[in-house]
This record gives sequence, C-alpha cells and structure tokens, in this order.
Amino acid sequence: MTEFTSDHISQQFNAELETLRQHFLTMGGVVENQVADAIQSMLDSDGALAEDVKDKDATVNQLDGIIDEECTRILAKRQPAATDLRMILSIGKAVGELERIGDEAKKIARLTITLVEEGESPRGYVEINRIGQMVSRMVHDALDAYARLDVDAAIRVAKQDRNVDMEFKTAMRSLVTYMMEDPRSITRVINVIWVLRSLERIGDHAQHICQHLIYLVKGQDVRHVPVSQLSEEVSDKK
Amino acid sequence: MSETKTHSIDISAMQRTQQPLRIEDEKICLSVEDLHLYYGEKEALKGIDMIIPEKKVTAFIGPSGCGKSTLLRCFNRMNDLVDSCRIDGKIRLHEQNIYEKGTDVAELRRRVGMVFQKPNPFPKSIYENVAYGLRIQGINKKRVIDETVEWALRSAALWDEVKDRLHESALGMSGGQQQRLVIARTVAVKPEVLLLDEPASALDPISTLKIEELIHELKEEFTIAIVTHNMQQAARVSDYTAFMYMGDMVEFGDTNSLFTNPTKQQTEDYITGRYG
Repeated sequence: MTEFTSDHISQQFNAELETLRQHFLTMGGVVENQVADAIQSMLDSDGALAEDVKDKDATVNQLDGIIDEECTRILAKRQPAATDLRMILSIGKAVGELERIGDEAKKIARLTITLVEEGESPRGYVEINRIGQMVSRMVHDALDAYARLDVDAAIRVAKQDRNVDMEFKTAMRSLVTYMMEDPRSITRVINVIWVLRSLERIGDHAQHICQHLIYLVKGQDVRHVPVSQLSEEVSDKK
Repeated sequence: MSETKTHSIDISAMQRTQQPLRIEDEKICLSVEDLHLYYGEKEALKGIDMIIPEKKVTAFIGPSGCGKSTLLRCFNRMNDLVDSCRIDGKIRLHEQNIYEKGTDVAELRRRVGMVFQKPNPFPKSIYENVAYGLRIQGINKKRVIDETVEWALRSAALWDEVKDRLHESALGMSGGQQQRLVIARTVAVKPEVLLLDEPASALDPISTLKIEELIHELKEEFTIAIVTHNMQQAARVSDYTAFMYMGDMVEFGDTNSLFTNPTKQQTEDYITGRYG
C-alpha cells in the first residue's frame, strides 16, 4: 500500500483503492509486454509472436472495462475528496492511455504480419529498433514512476518524448530518401512508417500517463505546460 | 517493474468481484410479507414485501415521512407502543411470525436490538451500561459479565478508548463514543439483528466514519438494517439498499447497482438530488 491507499478510517475504502491501483499496474504490465513483444516480432519477423500480441488486446480491453467500473463504483459509493478524488480521476484517464498504447501495439503486430507475408528486405528496421527501444523504456519508466508515485521520474520520462519526436523526424527523412531512390520499396516503406508512427504515439501516451501522475501527486494540471518548463512549474508548488 | 507481472492474471476473478450481489443467493433473516401499517386512518406502509438478508447490511433511504423508520420499527415491534397504530401482514424472523399472538416481545427485542439517532446511555458507569442487559437477563456471575462487557466494547471498537475508565460515568463521553457505547450495550445481549435508526446523524464526520467502519465489522456477526437520511452513507455502508417513497418500496437491490444504475426513474431522481 502507498500513502494514498492507506490510513482511511474505512478499511474497506483502503482496500478498494489498493485493488484499483493493483489492477491498473497489472494492466500496465500487460501493455508493457505487448509493446516489447510487438517491436520484437517486427525485428525478428516473428509472425507467431505478433499473433500473440494481437490476442492480448482482448485482455487489455477487459482490464480497461474492469478498472473503469471500479472507478465508477468508488465515485458513487465513497464520494472521494482531494488525493483520493485525484487518484480516481488520474487512474481513469491513465487507463485510457494504456488502452490506446495496447491498440498501437496491436497495429504494429498487424503490420508485422503483413511484412512477414511479403517477406522482403528489412529496410527501416534500424529506426524501428532505436525508437522502439526508446518508447519501450518510456512505457516501463512511466509505469514505474506511477507505482512509486515518483514525480521526478515522471518528469524525466515526459522530457524523453522530445527525443522520440526528433528521432521520428530523422527516420522519416531517411525513409523518404529510400522511397525516392527506389520507388519499388514504397509500399513496404510506408508500412514501416506506420510502425514508426505507432511507436511515436506510444511515446506520447507514456508522456500523458506521466502528466496524469503529476496531477495525482501534486494536483497540478500540466497537460498544456511545455516540457521545457515542466520542472520549474511542478517544483513551484507543494 | 516488480509490481506488474503479466502471468497469473485472473480476469474472471476480477470480473466476479464486480458481479452484483443477488438477493436469491442470500440466507433470509427477516422476511416481510404484504405489510400494511396504519396510523389511525393514514396508511403509512402500503404493502411491503422484502427480505432482510442474514449477515449483510441493508440500508433504507427515502425522503422524510416515506415510512423507512416506521418499517424499521416493525422489526422489533416498537410500533406496538404507538396507540393508533395497526398492522396487517407478516414479518418472519427466520421462520417465526413476530406478530403472532403469544410472541414474547421482550425476547424479540433482545434478538432484534435497536440503536437510535441520539445516543441514549443510561446515567451509569460505562461498565454498567453494557452490563445492564445481562443483569436483567439474570446473569450475575462477575467473570461472565466482565468477559461479555470487554467483548461487547471491543466489538464496538471502544475498548481501547475506555478500558482505563470503565467505572466513570458514560455521560462524560463524547457523542461518538456514547453512540458506540450504545451499540456495545445492544450487542452485549447477543442479538441476531441490529436495527440502526440514523445512528450517525448527530455525530461529527470522523465519528460518523468510525460508526460506518464499525457497521462494516459488525456484519460479520450480525444482520444489520440501517435507516439513514444520508444516502452517501447508505452507499458506503450497505450491501443492499431499499428506496422507499410515500409508504411504498420503490426499489430494492444490490447497493452497487442501485447507486450506479438504478432501475426506476424515481430512484434515479432521488439519489441524484432531483426531488425528495
């Protein structure tokens, strides 16, 4: 239990909040693996692993529903205030981000299956590997920060998103060059671009999870604060 | 990260905890059959049929004058004390109709204890308040009384606060403590059912939460029926909720469902503060 889920006079309320937190982290674990496996399936041209990633989507959707329901119940029954209220709102939103990360992983898995079926040379995989590693790390670190309610770690992850965006732009430039050099590769490279686009979105969602965490711990809405000002903005209060 | 293991996720177990409780699955403690109650000419309860499940908390909500306290008082025949009151229908405690001729009402009220809105400790010591019910039952052994008093005070989450001043007057306690003392006094005679009529409405928010937590613990051993004006309290403490209006039982069901998705429009309007 954390400081947020203990110490209520009502033990039942403590237990409900702790269950909610555990279920959120469980869902985080499933999604984190989904992302790692999706990238791996692409790099290894492993169709079976990609199928596995697609199948996990059902689990993620079920968890999404369960956690939403838990949030609704706690709101209806406990009328949470202050930190408790922010925890429910924060988890409610972060779950949505996780669900979308899962969807992006599923898209990558589908593209893997397409690329495996076409069976051509692995052009663009260097970029997928590099950006993939970055966003996997971001998802992992965002969830880790959430588990430990660590705002500093959340800010570090949020800042990481700029690097992902830069890498994405660089990769786009080189892939456009490939396509100009060899128009026959266009169909294939476009698929690779879709994968990169999904990875970039995953990075955004990981960043959003960090913003929801900052709201939970500090009570500040930093969704529209430029990343460069995040540290000062958050350290100003509390 | 250590806390996110993907193996051994039991989705169906998670889903099971979200299933609404079903009254059909419960053991029946009290059953009400076509209960009509009249105060003189006025029909205050208009044919109530319901079940109070065993070792669960059942809350009654509804606007003032809807009959919820009247119904609660029927469960231990407190309405017998009202002159103009007439009752038709049956209430069974387990199998026995409590309105049958020859029912021992004193014994019924031991089995079905009641706690009121305003704490009403006797002007005696804390110890004697709890021991009182035992003494009038003819229990005189000091060891038995000592043990029961301690057990009752522990059950009411009061023991640690009062164990060093058991022989001081109960009237020196705070309102919240007095209310828990009254609950201890009620459970000391080992009832089967606890009727709580607005038990926390005269208390501050923290004492209220303590009483609510206590209710949650007491349902391990007792069947509890609670009347409350505070519907959030009903949402927090109860397993089943009954919404009453003008002497009718409008909706009765699993608390989680009733407060998130009631089936009747009247219930929806009441719990969302649109009338009542």
